Amino acid sequence: MRRRPGIGGLQNAAAARDQYRLLGENVAKLRTDVLKEQLSTFRSQLEDFARKHKNDIRKNPAFRAQFHEMCAKVGVDPLASNKGFWAELLGIGDFYYELGVQIVDICLATRPHNGGLISLEDLCKLLGQRRKGAREAVSEDDCLRAISKLKVLGNGFEVISVGKKKLVRSVPTELNKDHNEILELAQGQGFVTVDEVQKRFSWSSGRATDALETLLEEGLAMIDDGHRDGRRRYWFPCVSSVSSYAGDTL
Amino acid sequence: MQTLGEFKLPHFFNYPPYFTLQPVRDTREKQIQLWKELILDYCRTQKVFVIGLDEDFQLFSNPTIERSLSHEAREAFLSALVLEGRAEWLDKGHRKCLILWHRIQDWADLILHFVKENGLEDSVMTVEEIRSGVVSRETELHGMDRTILMRALKLLEHKGKLAIFKGTSADDEGVKFSI
Repeated sequence: MRRRPGIGGLQNAAAARDQYRLLGENVAKLRTDVLKEQLSTFRSQLEDFARKHKNDIRKNPAFRAQFHEMCAKVGVDPLASNKGFWAELLGIGDFYYELGVQIVDICLATRPHNGGLISLEDLCKLLGQRRKGAREAVSEDDCLRAISKLKVLGNGFEVISVGKKKLVRSVPTELNKDHNEILELAQGQGFVTVDEVQKRFSWSSGRATDALETLLEEGLAMIDDGHRDGRRRYWFPCVSSVSSYAGDTL
Repeated sequence: MQTLGEFKLPHFFNYPPYFTLQPVRDTREKQIQLWKELILDYCRTQKVFVIGLDEDFQLFSNPTIERSLSHEAREAFLSALVLEGRAEWLDKGHRKCLILWHRIQDWADLILHFVKENGLEDSVMTVEEIRSGVVSRETELHGMDRTILMRALKLLEHKGKLAIFKGTSADDEGVKFSI
């Protein structure tokens, strides 16, 4: 459009701009409306679904895990707020808070025994024992969710992976790579010796002893000098199975 | 779970490192705590009054896992009980230890209770009768250690609840209750 001089030209240009803007706004509004509608449809369907399968979600740990996964995919966190409709609908927030409190309890109670590191498996078992009366079964997935909620407290509840096992850490101890490798090795028999550590990782005896001494001081390991062969064994309560001995620490 | 006779052993009894005295303080405290409870529990249910450190005491070794407590560890656990007033060394060399799953005061209370239950408030009994007589059968006093019984009786004498009088031999020491 050729620009014409004069006040009329300016007014025309302004009018055209207004028109364009109006059109733009309309389009945007239309899109938002569609999106809003889609969202509300989706939300109501999710609600319907949750309502319909409420009992399954509450009682069946596997189903619950799948529901969580589905929610995560579409960016909904049923645990985000205890006041939200999810909590009211499912009581699911309370469930995890309760679980969280019990997990803290168990971690504290077993800390003198395991130095603040407990395998997820043992934690679940102890949780199961404690919740005998409760209706809902608890899975490892539930434990992990509850622990992730505990992170808000900032007090270093953390899940670490050592070899195939998942361990829950309730003390701020930093485990370095050496320590992790030893813990992984210990999963085989429940204990290691300095010799084994040296041979397996080709470490100097100083490195092996250092790492083991640190684990000992942190309360994660216990020594055993009672074997016939006279070699000191370092046992790790956090990787031995709970059923064999630790059940009475609570 | 492993048992000794009818006694149920705790899980830690099967975990080898609990048979080695732990060098790290926190871990050792926990270890000692568990052993103290086990020893008291075991002695109470099995009516063991004296533990000899060098004798074969069932709790001090676990054949299943081939571990037994060192002399040092035995002494450490019993010393912890002594510190709490739940045990006493019978000799200076710490070879024999008297286990007080009831404190002397509690034993004294048991005796008073026994006397009242049986209407013996003004009676005379021999010490042996209290330990092994017909009247005390079915009570905790039955079969109790003589040393502990004498200590409890002396405590009661001190409080004026009874008078101990000597016979010709140790066997016929007697007690006159006056409660």
